[in-house]
Amino acid sequence: MKISLAIHAGIAGLGLAAMSAVPGNAFGQAANYGQAPNYGPPATSYALEAARYPDAASKPTPHLADGQPDLNGVWHHFFGGLVAKVGDNSFELNFGQHIPTAKAGGPPPPRAKPDPAPEYKAQFAAKVKALDANQVKEDRTLHCMPPGVPRMGPPQEIVQTAKQVVFLYADLTGNHWRVIPVNGQHSTDPELEATYNGDSVAHWDGDTLVVDVTHLTDDTWLGDNGLYHSSKLHVTERLRRVGDTIQYSMTADDPVVLAKPWTITRTLTLQPDLLTEAAPCVDNDAGHYVNSEHHDNAR
Amino acid sequence: MTNNKRLALAAAALLGAGMFAPAPLAAHHAVSAEFNADKIITLKGVVSKVDWVNPHIFVYFDVKDDSGKVTTWRLQSLPPLFFKGSGLTKEKLMDGSEATITAYPAKDGTDDFGFLLKLSYPDGHFYNLGGGTAPAPGPTK
Repeated sequence: MKISLAIHAGIAGLGLAAMSAVPGNAFGQAANYGQAPNYGPPATSYALEAARYPDAASKPTPHLADGQPDLNGVWHHFFGGLVAKVGDNSFELNFGQHIPTAKAGGPPPPRAKPDPAPEYKAQFAAKVKALDANQVKEDRTLHCMPPGVPRMGPPQEIVQTAKQVVFLYADLTGNHWRVIPVNGQHSTDPELEATYNGDSVAHWDGDTLVVDVTHLTDDTWLGDNGLYHSSKLHVTERLRRVGDTIQYSMTADDPVVLAKPWTITRTLTLQPDLLTEAAPCVDNDAGHYVNSEHHDNAR
Repeated sequence: MTNNKRLALAAAALLGAGMFAPAPLAAHHAVSAEFNADKIITLKGVVSKVDWVNPHIFVYFDVKDDSGKVTTWRLQSLPPLFFKGSGLTKEKLMDGSEATITAYPAKDGTDDFGFLLKLSYPDGHFYNLGGGTAPAPGPTK
């Protein structure tokens, strides 16, 4: 089965489940995400969160005692609950059950704009393609290795003081965190090893927190589907609180493999939920793959 | 339902992991990279252990043969977050009741390894984790 077939099979499955398992719910709407793969994960999950709090951006922007915008809060999480109770004591997989705004009779689920794709130098395009085709083996996150920066995405929770911001992530690969000094300096240690999350420092540029990340290992990818990078990767994240939203952008500059810097943006919406600790990741599959079939992970 | 459609449902299960999840959750292999969706096995036994781990939970299922020898099957299921808030917990899966299950066997020939589709209990309740119409149980192995 080729990649495209796999994803279409998945979509067909969603639609089929809608008809056979829970007549009349909004499964079909959910399935439509897949029919336009570029509107799929992960941007759509942010749109779903925004839909829970439509006037978030028009709220007052709170500030901390030091006068800086207050970035504290949970900004992204997993809705969960795709297994649903049926009858008194039975359960079944049901994709429509817990999708906000996707209840029967409700408005259609929101759609997010697709992210632009990073532009590689021509001589490296074939390597991306090869890694993508063989991602079941090559993508280390499938084997519980951390996705690192920037693939891990915007912070899911932020804990902020005047001196530092802490970014928290509950990921399929486990729980990750970044402690980022505000007005700190990058390490000058010539022997500092590159890491998954790199060496991050932040400063305020007006009301925008700018996070500068160096020392990123080339063990990680920029994103799904073979988007590799070199050890010269330099990442800049910008976070600006607007009401109860954060306008987030991430620019990846890799002068070795990219033809030009790659920027993606997200609108994060303050969520009422607690960030739930992720279960540990255990790679039980590595020895059992017989081919490279996988999902198309639209970004 | 054809086996291909059933495979689609299982694939959809894992596709869904990315659909409503933070970005890095999206990457996933296909069920078909590991399991044979053209073959469904039926087993009778008891859940003896559940590993509540990412990227998917594993259910251990003890099957006793006619001579009394117990074989423990290791069955892959859904990502733990799929169960969040559902009420279907590790404790519930391990309540000690005898169950009949359906599963896809491993493609690589590993014995006693599969992808869990559905657990059915004598009083009629069930946990359908494969999605869609549940496959009819065949003769137990």
